[in-house]
Amino acid sequence: MNHAPLAPACAALLRRDLTLAWRQRGDIALPVLYALIVSTLFPFALGPDLALLQRIAGGAVLVTVLLAMLLALDAMFRSDIEDGSLEQLMLSPQPLAPMLGMKILAHWLTTALPLIVIAPLLASLLHLPVAVMPVLLLALLLATPLISLLGAVLVALTAGSRRSGMLLALMLLPLCVPVVIFAAGALAAAQQGLPWIAPIAWLGAALALAVVLAPLACAAALRIALDS
Amino acid sequence: MAVMTAAIPATPLLEARALCFHRQDEPVFGPLDFRLDAGELTLIEGDNGSGKTTLMRILTGLLHAEEGELLWRGEPLHRDRCVGDIVFLGHQLGLKSELTPRENLRVAIGLHGHREHTDIDAVLAQVGLAGYGDEPVRRLSAGQKKRAALARLLLIPATLWLLDEPYANLDRTGIELVNRLLAEHIARGGAALVTSHGAVGFHGGEPQRIRMHA
Repeated sequence: MNHAPLAPACAALLRRDLTLAWRQRGDIALPVLYALIVSTLFPFALGPDLALLQRIAGGAVLVTVLLAMLLALDAMFRSDIEDGSLEQLMLSPQPLAPMLGMKILAHWLTTALPLIVIAPLLASLLHLPVAVMPVLLLALLLATPLISLLGAVLVALTAGSRRSGMLLALMLLPLCVPVVIFAAGALAAAQQGLPWIAPIAWLGAALALAVVLAPLACAAALRIALDS
Repeated sequence: MAVMTAAIPATPLLEARALCFHRQDEPVFGPLDFRLDAGELTLIEGDNGSGKTTLMRILTGLLHAEEGELLWRGEPLHRDRCVGDIVFLGHQLGLKSELTPRENLRVAIGLHGHREHTDIDAVLAQVGLAGYGDEPVRRLSAGQKKRAALARLLLIPATLWLLDEPYANLDRTGIELVNRLLAEHIARGGAALVTSHGAVGFHGGEPQRIRMHA
């Protein structure tokens, strides 16, 4: 027997998921367009009050990006379950958790990263002060993978049920709250010229924990979902 | 089966003893006893709903049977021991429809490893997909998809093939192909469990048969 080593297996899976995402580029564009529309509507709904917009800009961009991520979240394992790829992945001699970690990474790269790239545009639509922009990007870089990882666990938990979209949104909401509080806390502090590193550090700590634990939880949940 | 005991090596590849499966207290099948040695082919026969696919999923380790024993090389079947040595081809082929057969096979090799002396082009030609290697799988016919999935069996190193209805969607040459691949795999010292509800003619003699009842 010559089993495949772990690193090339991870690379093969990551490349597969990125290739698939590239072949279905329209799916990547949807969350980006959604975020763009929502951010454009804020000034229309609230009026061109510069001070008001500046005050809410950070939080609005943050919430818009997180909601846009929800759009694509429930598709994370769906096609793999439907076409039997997940079964084949489980039967391969690779440990399941790092493989799912690769899938979550691919999902983050294809849904969250485009949103982070356009985040400065969204923020400038709402007149976010330029000085706060780096803090916004840093907060998004930590908050979005956290949402991807937490979301992946919930997607795995609801994978067995037919109409999981609604359930998923309801379950994810309470998990989003602490992420939003810390990210928004950092933004508010930065806008007031206060030190903002503490909430960012909390996000980083939570992310470090989630990177290790979420793929393990996903693997356990998906094994249960397929055992029926 | 008792007649054959003299010729059989001490530990069979796979052995089931009084294997039963219940779904919500409803018996699906069992009790079932069988053994499978390297170089042996077993045909699982049964009507629709008799639990053939369920048995396959138990043998892959995806499903867990509470009752009875399942031994892999003499030890209780556990994912860590048998994983990678058992390959499963079910109704869902595990092919990504947006990728080409070649890309799908490359991923399979990356995950499962590579059988010696095989390469993707040769295997694609062997299953009759020469010239279709770079066509997205979604544009292939049902039979061609099946052939692409069969190509995966040839490329990855696994001793036991679990084939759930491998003849479905295949034309006469395709059925002939499955039989030829099975015969070659058995000759290499591999083993295979095949489910079918139709009559099947294998190369190289009569296979062992397991009859399943609902």
